[in-house]
Amino acid sequence: MSKFDNLPAVAPGAIATSSAAATSSAPATRPRGPLLEVTDLRLYFPITSGLLVNHHVGDVRAVDGVSLSIEREETLGLVGESGCGKSTIGRTIMRLYKPTSGRIVLDGQDITTLGGAALRAVRRRMQMIFQDPYASLDPRMTAAGIVSEPLEIHGVDPVGGRRERVRELLATVGLDPDYGDRYPHEFSGGQRQRIGVARALALNPDLIVADEPISALDVSIQAQIINLLERLQSEFGLTYLFIAHDLSVIRHISDRIAVMYLGRIVELAGSRELYERPLHPYSVALLSAVPIPDPVVEGRRRRIILTGDVPNPANPPSGCHFHTRCWLRERLGNPERCVAEDPALRPMSEGHQVACHFADEVDGSAEQVQVTGRRAGASASAAAAPTPATLSVPEGPSPRPQDRG
Amino acid sequence: MALLSVRDLVVRFRTHDGTVYAVNGVSFDLDEGETLGLVGESGCGKSVTNLAVMRLLPSPAGRIEGGQVVFEGLDLLSLDESAMRDLRGKDIAMIFQDPMTSLNPVLTIEEQMVETIRAHRRVSKAEARATTIELLGMVGIPQPEARLKNFPHQFSGGMRQRVMIAMALALEPKMLIADEPTTALDVTIQAQVLELLSRLAAEHGTAVILITHDLGVVAGMTKRINVMYAGFVVESATTPDLFARPHHPYTVGLLHSMPRLDAQPGEPLIPIEGTPPDLRFAPVGCAFAPRCAWRVDRCWKENPGLEPMQPTQEIVTTGPRATHRVACWNQPTAEEAAAARPLRPGFEPAVPPVEDLQ
Repeated sequence: MSKFDNLPAVAPGAIATSSAAATSSAPATRPRGPLLEVTDLRLYFPITSGLLVNHHVGDVRAVDGVSLSIEREETLGLVGESGCGKSTIGRTIMRLYKPTSGRIVLDGQDITTLGGAALRAVRRRMQMIFQDPYASLDPRMTAAGIVSEPLEIHGVDPVGGRRERVRELLATVGLDPDYGDRYPHEFSGGQRQRIGVARALALNPDLIVADEPISALDVSIQAQIINLLERLQSEFGLTYLFIAHDLSVIRHISDRIAVMYLGRIVELAGSRELYERPLHPYSVALLSAVPIPDPVVEGRRRRIILTGDVPNPANPPSGCHFHTRCWLRERLGNPERCVAEDPALRPMSEGHQVACHFADEVDGSAEQVQVTGRRAGASASAAAAPTPATLSVPEGPSPRPQDRG
Repeated sequence: MALLSVRDLVVRFRTHDGTVYAVNGVSFDLDEGETLGLVGESGCGKSVTNLAVMRLLPSPAGRIEGGQVVFEGLDLLSLDESAMRDLRGKDIAMIFQDPMTSLNPVLTIEEQMVETIRAHRRVSKAEARATTIELLGMVGIPQPEARLKNFPHQFSGGMRQRVMIAMALALEPKMLIADEPTTALDVTIQAQVLELLSRLAAEHGTAVILITHDLGVVAGMTKRINVMYAGFVVESATTPDLFARPHHPYTVGLLHSMPRLDAQPGEPLIPIEGTPPDLRFAPVGCAFAPRCAWRVDRCWKENPGLEPMQPTQEIVTTGPRATHRVACWNQPTAEEAAAARPLRPGFEPAVPPVEDLQ
């Protein structure tokens, strides 16, 4: 954070009062709408060329018209493959990037073009947890220094003093408060990520943007951090924007999920709904590609193998961005509409939006059924640890409870 | 006789910080055409084991300090370097995690592949080139002829990994070691690469050792699995057996600590508490004991060997009838494995470790 807050020094008291004013006025006027509302957000990175004069020759459309909202104390999962723009959205919401166009509203306040002290006051309410616990902690600062830095930047003097607050934060994230005077290299990866979480919590934020917070950690450590984030959410009433590429993790932690492809949201639905009734061909393919740690289930699944790679975001395909790799389009005899017309995100049912002209064809398709085992209804035993009984399930095309993957 | 037989392999690294106990007596066999998964988290010795088999340990720090590696009756550890070089690529090939660092960035794909083929086979450049085109086509690179003159950076991650697979299979090796081949790739690309790898291995009858931390990947790709922890194989079983009846507390922990796509919503995760051990300390007792809820006094003192479930059982080391073996003094029962915690009356679950800094 400090890198982005290199503003001229202001007396700590001044910041304290200005931000206190911002927060104290909030309860009176606080609208009961969503905590965060993003409308038609675009972020283009310019591509330039030329030796002496930089000519603007094009744009990488990292975020290309994204609208979403996050309710209070909700977790919205943002999932997609590398380069789909999910991290850029997170950073733009944090206002680490300046949006090309669109609107970001935090708790009723438009923060799209805020700057200076006003932006700093807003940043107090949103914090970020980063992917790499090795790169995101300053190696020359102690754990306590890292965790208390946000307090210093924002001139916050908690009751009992900053030192006591830091000890309390370290204990909250499951670290021994006495380790505060140690340096990052003395901690393991999981412990470092706990320090990152403590730093994010220091200012009592409303919104936490977690950008791949567990993907750099060892398998046996990941669950510790997921459980920690879940506990903190219920303890402090936090709202999460959880960004990850791992669908299993996203599904576990999110209330709602947005699936992204090439800078756009292609499907937005409740976590359960998305896994039981995915309606975008890309979501179906993504779900089918996730390996499930159960050889019985794996042996029965048929993957939808998408051909080719994600296209270049500087030169995305016309119409529906996914049409070059779409299994459904092929099935339907390559309809012209997918190439010609950009599909808008449209509601299919309560809280379920899809950007596909032919979403109705996905519903009930063999692929969707294969991926969800929907007809089998709620799974009874798939969640339990594999038991001998799962082995005796005969191989066959009929969807069994374990078939849901 | 098995294609590959590793016995009591011990690998140590001598560093400025002291000795790193990387591999502490690992034994396993691999049959022709068999697929074996080596599962474990970073630092468990799964990659080092295979680098030792290939005799590619970073020198002089990494040393094989004991054990035997026999490949087709040949003792690899006593082979001279030129014979070993002959063997690499031709008989045993390897695919690494990061296809960008394992391809030479300043050579075209054609130069690299032709060189590989001609290093081991007496064929003309034109013949090697024809083979290269055929191989690239086989791994699904569109217009292989047009892409011969491309450099690695002109390929995407998935395409580079395909090139690596093409190179690995160029000399029709008997055995392929794939070290986290899809970890750097996106999930839809991972699906492409895994499908390709298993199809080609099956077509050519290549034996595969798949090294990964992802239980989902081994579940679909392998016939047999060794679970490794801190330089030991802690559980060894056929793939269906391991997932249906995990017996080691670490395996049980791994299965419960990752969210499954097909799990019930709201199902809590049961993490493995603590952190993996510091390998700079010589192992005493069971390496997993500090994190284990099932530990008993004996676990601190004696290291359990990899033993079959019934002591009298005859041990089969390879194939679909391989014996399920576990290194544990106090194994979880089936019910405990399903619940991921001790349930026995009269048995006190061990307290979770205090996160201790070494």
